[in-house]
Amino acid sequence: MADVINVSLNMEAFSQAISAIQALRSSVSRVFDCLKDGMRNKETLEGREKAFIAHFQDNLHSVNRDLNELERLSNLVGKPSENHPLHNSGLLSLDPVQDKTPLYSQLLQAYKWSNKLQYHAGLASGLLNQQSLKRSANQMGVSAKRRPKAQPTTLVLPPQYVDDVINRIDRMFPEMSIHLSRPNGTSAMLLVTLGKVLKVIVVMRSLFIDRTIVKGYNENVYTEDGKLDIWSKSNYQVFQKVTDHATTALLHYQLPQMPDVVVRSFMTWLRSYIKLFQAPCQRCGKFLQDGLPPTWRDFRTLEAFHDTCRQ
Amino acid sequence: MGVTCVSQMPVAEGKSVQQTVELLTRKLEMLGAEKQGTFCVDCETYHTAASTLGSQGQTGKLMYVMHNSEYPLSCFALFENGPCLIADTNFDVLMVKLKGFFQSAKASKIETRGTRYQYCDFLVKVGTVTMGPSARGISVEVEYGPCVVASDCWSLLLEFLQSFLGSHTPGAPAVFGNRHDAVYGPADTMVQYMELFNKIRKQQQAAAFME
Repeated sequence: MADVINVSLNMEAFSQAISAIQALRSSVSRVFDCLKDGMRNKETLEGREKAFIAHFQDNLHSVNRDLNELERLSNLVGKPSENHPLHNSGLLSLDPVQDKTPLYSQLLQAYKWSNKLQYHAGLASGLLNQQSLKRSANQMGVSAKRRPKAQPTTLVLPPQYVDDVINRIDRMFPEMSIHLSRPNGTSAMLLVTLGKVLKVIVVMRSLFIDRTIVKGYNENVYTEDGKLDIWSKSNYQVFQKVTDHATTALLHYQLPQMPDVVVRSFMTWLRSYIKLFQAPCQRCGKFLQDGLPPTWRDFRTLEAFHDTCRQ
Repeated sequence: MGVTCVSQMPVAEGKSVQQTVELLTRKLEMLGAEKQGTFCVDCETYHTAASTLGSQGQTGKLMYVMHNSEYPLSCFALFENGPCLIADTNFDVLMVKLKGFFQSAKASKIETRGTRYQYCDFLVKVGTVTMGPSARGISVEVEYGPCVVASDCWSLLLEFLQSFLGSHTPGAPAVFGNRHDAVYGPADTMVQYMELFNKIRKQQQAAAFME
């Protein structure tokens, strides 16, 4: 509500400022016209000079007045970017060439589509859970009925809730520390440091994990600006492999109704990498295969396997 | 800087240093390693000048000034069991100025030169150790980049060393035992090189004595 009022105030002041600019322009052009016309024809030289000076002064005063008016209005208009609710994606909408690069409309469509998909998936999983294939279905059935039917979309969670969940997980494991930051809007970016073995950058979307990048303990995770670098890959092949496995893991641990359980299980799986260089492969018993240590961790048993040794 | 292990490869029976180096490099290339340029590590010895020693006649300490082509802008200065200083290359010029306190030992410069190989995340450097004009031995350095804690990856390194050194695989370096969970640094590598050079010098002296 407050945003709407602010916007309308800005628009009024904005249009007034535009007309003030026009007034200023006309008064300035009057000054130059007066100079160009020069002195009017009067009887005496003094009279001509006086008239000219008086006219010139009048014009300059009007310029001064218009300039002050414009300054006052420009202070009222304020900065438009402060009231911009769309942040970076809204700037895309300012691109005028809609035919060749319809980026903004495509972005909106993709966003609406993914939201709808999320909603439908939540509804479907609720319905499917009611029709359980297990024989002892009583417990599941009862809790499914107790759960509210209209599931609030878990895509729009308050950031404070996300912070709380992450803090609780941070305290769960002593050798794993999680640092949360929000440099780009509301999506959280976690920097997970696992002992002295590796660092993981996790990009989240409310409480769902979007992407992960795994890097070595001694590698730089920040860009030159000091911001978290979420794009560059690790320099070491072993961590590039672990990044691929982590991406597989976040696709494996899925539960649309309870995203905090998902994050917890992902972190538990990640924690098994503390012994990345110490654990031999459970299948072949060796440490190295093609120069890589066992990088795969089974999703259920958390045992170490080489990428080529896993079933 | 990953965990590094420096060891000496004994010269094969009936072969020269050059031939043993070639054997090793061929084994590495068969394993799948790629050649990536050359490397050089050198060491000069200084001993504390007699004028600074007390009247009790305490023995002067030996100081080693080393360079490593992996860190071209640095110079390492270390005492036998003491601290290691990492300075920039102007340190050499400083040593000239400190002639009154530290004197260069005669014919003390020892260096190792050779090729670098990259295999997956391992960096292997096989070099010929030379003192003056003659080759005295072979140095093998293996660095595992991703790991920075020595105690973590010794088994992994051992397995890799065994794959191309065979029976000549060394035991765990002394520096690994000292630093349990500390992050490995270039100073530890230079300490290993210093120990290797000292061993080769002793072997040389023993051989000369025998003759």
